[in-house]
Amino acid sequence: MNIIETPVQLAQQRERELPPPELREVVFDVSGLTVSYGGNPALKDVSLEVYKNFVTAFIGPSGCGKSTFIRCFNRMNDLIPSASVGGTILYHGEDLYAPHVDAVEVRKRIGMVFQKPNPFPKSIHANVAFGPRVLRMTDDLDGRVERALQQAALWDEVKDRLDESALSLSGGQQQRLCIARCLAVEPDVLLMDEPASALDPISTTRIEDLMHELKREYTIVIVTHNMQQAARIADMTAFFSVQIEDGKRSGVLVEYDATPTIFTKPADKRTEDYVTGRFG
Amino acid sequence: MSAAALSAGRRRGVWRGRIFVALLLLSMAVGLLALGTLCVDVLQRGLAYFDSVLLTNGPSSDPDIAGARPAILATLYLGVLLILFTVPIGVGTAIYLEEYADRHRWYNRLLELNIQNLAAVPSIVYGILGLAFLVRGLGLGRVLLAGALILTLLVLPTVIIAAREAIRAVPSSIREGAYALGATQWQVVSRQVLPAAIPGIATGSILALARAIGETAPLILIGALTFISFNPTVMGPFTALPVQIYNWTKLPDEKFKALAAAAIIVLLIMVLLLNAAAIWLRNRYQKRW
Amino acid sequence: MRISLQEELDQLEAALQEEGALVLRALRGCLNSLARHDVELADEVIAFDDEVDETYVAIEAGIQSLLARQTPVAIDLRNVLAILHINLHLERMADYCVTVAKLTKLVHDTPPDETLAEALEDMGTRAEEMIHAALDSFANRDVESAESLVDMDELIDAANRRVVHQILSLSADPDLREWGLRMLLVSRCLERIGDHAVDIGEQTAFLVSGQFREFTDASH
Repeated sequence: MNIIETPVQLAQQRERELPPPELREVVFDVSGLTVSYGGNPALKDVSLEVYKNFVTAFIGPSGCGKSTFIRCFNRMNDLIPSASVGGTILYHGEDLYAPHVDAVEVRKRIGMVFQKPNPFPKSIHANVAFGPRVLRMTDDLDGRVERALQQAALWDEVKDRLDESALSLSGGQQQRLCIARCLAVEPDVLLMDEPASALDPISTTRIEDLMHELKREYTIVIVTHNMQQAARIADMTAFFSVQIEDGKRSGVLVEYDATPTIFTKPADKRTEDYVTGRFG
Repeated sequence: MSAAALSAGRRRGVWRGRIFVALLLLSMAVGLLALGTLCVDVLQRGLAYFDSVLLTNGPSSDPDIAGARPAILATLYLGVLLILFTVPIGVGTAIYLEEYADRHRWYNRLLELNIQNLAAVPSIVYGILGLAFLVRGLGLGRVLLAGALILTLLVLPTVIIAAREAIRAVPSSIREGAYALGATQWQVVSRQVLPAAIPGIATGSILALARAIGETAPLILIGALTFISFNPTVMGPFTALPVQIYNWTKLPDEKFKALAAAAIIVLLIMVLLLNAAAIWLRNRYQKRW
Repeated sequence: MRISLQEELDQLEAALQEEGALVLRALRGCLNSLARHDVELADEVIAFDDEVDETYVAIEAGIQSLLARQTPVAIDLRNVLAILHINLHLERMADYCVTVAKLTKLVHDTPPDETLAEALEDMGTRAEEMIHAALDSFANRDVESAESLVDMDELIDAANRRVVHQILSLSADPDLREWGLRMLLVSRCLERIGDHAVDIGEQTAFLVSGQFREFTDASH
């Protein structure tokens, strides 16, 4: 007698290798975060969790506070005198804005890549070595530089010209150099503020592929004004929008969910209007 | 439409444009002409006396054996001391104002205002200042050091302003990138901002120096003596090249006037070399951005 | 480049091929149950359809997600659309297998006409071959192999037409006549499975050429 037996392996095959909610590790726990510049609220009452080894994207129209938000994660808003931050951000359970917390220690673990590639006017090697040098991680410096460049998928292109000026690289290469620079200090988290918006489409795709590889080892948070980019690479997507209260504009978090949900059946109409392009 | 319709002659304002360019060329010509005339005049008068005697001998009442060696040496010493004093103070002030100071504090705003004003003060006022506070007040006496200090005060505002411009020219994206990697403020300033600003600072300092070595009034006021036959020392009496020139022109003998012209040539060469160095530096580091 | 898009496309196609394997097992199962009058086996085939449906729904959801997030174009888009259609055809094939199994259960105790039973077995085997050919030609993007499905389908269609005559010539025994009618439906199911296999071949041609066309006209 032929008994047909076939366990369907499909679920495991098709799954995007994301752990289910109960197995996710929380890296950032944001609660009631409010950021104001000189009394004007730029971002109001944001609460969400960022998970380990996920790519989390912040999308939304311009002025919705997403860049302000991401800069809170590595205390870069400290550099702006008029900025004040309320609420809490817990990083692995520790309050990032507690009085005893040193911003340098924070930035050692939480790196940032900016919108316009900003290589230092030094050699390629000196660029990547800068982080380790200022943080006194100078053992096996050349090894660190090579590993960082390998991880940023730039090593093969520059290994014979490490002493040349970083400014001689193309835009896409410069951005990968900036990523290598961050990786050289062995961070836990990579923050990316519109990393590909200044690049041509092919360089953009390379950066996206790179993020796909990097998320195995790092937790990545990215701000992007290109929602298709968020759709392509992010595991979780947070949609921010502008709200006007008492004549003042401030950014709020509208919806935060798994990317497929945001782009197939978002819960909030504002989200749907934005992702379908009907947002005015 | 005919071909003539596209020709430039039919455009209104063509003549206005041409006249404008002509006026610009005229202005440039005036400047060049004046400079040219001065140079030619000086060369005519002084070339005969521009020889090794001028450079090796001390002053004398006999124009044929008179030289400006002490004056030249003093000017060189003044230059070196000037750089030693102005660069650290000037760059330090600039770094403080650009990187550390909170613009909104009243004392910082006062400081800025002060510096802008000092740059415009006539040099003879510095001379009086130096005489009162350095020569007499501090009791330094009429020495080279005092001269150097006065010249420092004179050009310090210029160096500060130039250094601030150079520091400001460093893009903030560089600073942000360095901060984001975990650098402290001092590390950002010392490892990124300053190295990038050095060409601008150097250029500004050299130009300030070039101006300072031609200053006569403050040096006269603090008593740069004119008949020094020995080589100057830092804590001793001195004379400087511009002062020497001034005094030679006052003498009745025509030959001294010619000597003065020769000394002017020496001064001009110094200034020219300094300016050339400044331009070379600026060009060399221009491409980095 | 576009690693995640490629990975997802590969995963969808692998899922599709696995669905095809499930359909083949269902078909073999229902043919065996038909040949051996095995009611238990027929029940298993019917229950098994739930697995196929699960796979179908999962692939549908995967396609929706991929379209929303990756915005594929050109060949990637045609690939996704082809997978979408093939998914549907496979699911319909599985449904036909269920129908055959149900029909088997209805007349399992009637001794069959051997000739007709053999003919149906042949048709079934041909259908199996066609499914294999369709899935392989899709995997290999082989248009020629896809077009050959038309000829294979001819054979099934011809056999289907002969079955009608054979049934009409059966004896007047009412059980046998009932059996004959049910077998007519079985024959029809197998013929439809063949048609769906040709449709899969048409998707392969669409993927490769960019144009959708029916391999044959309706008069055939």
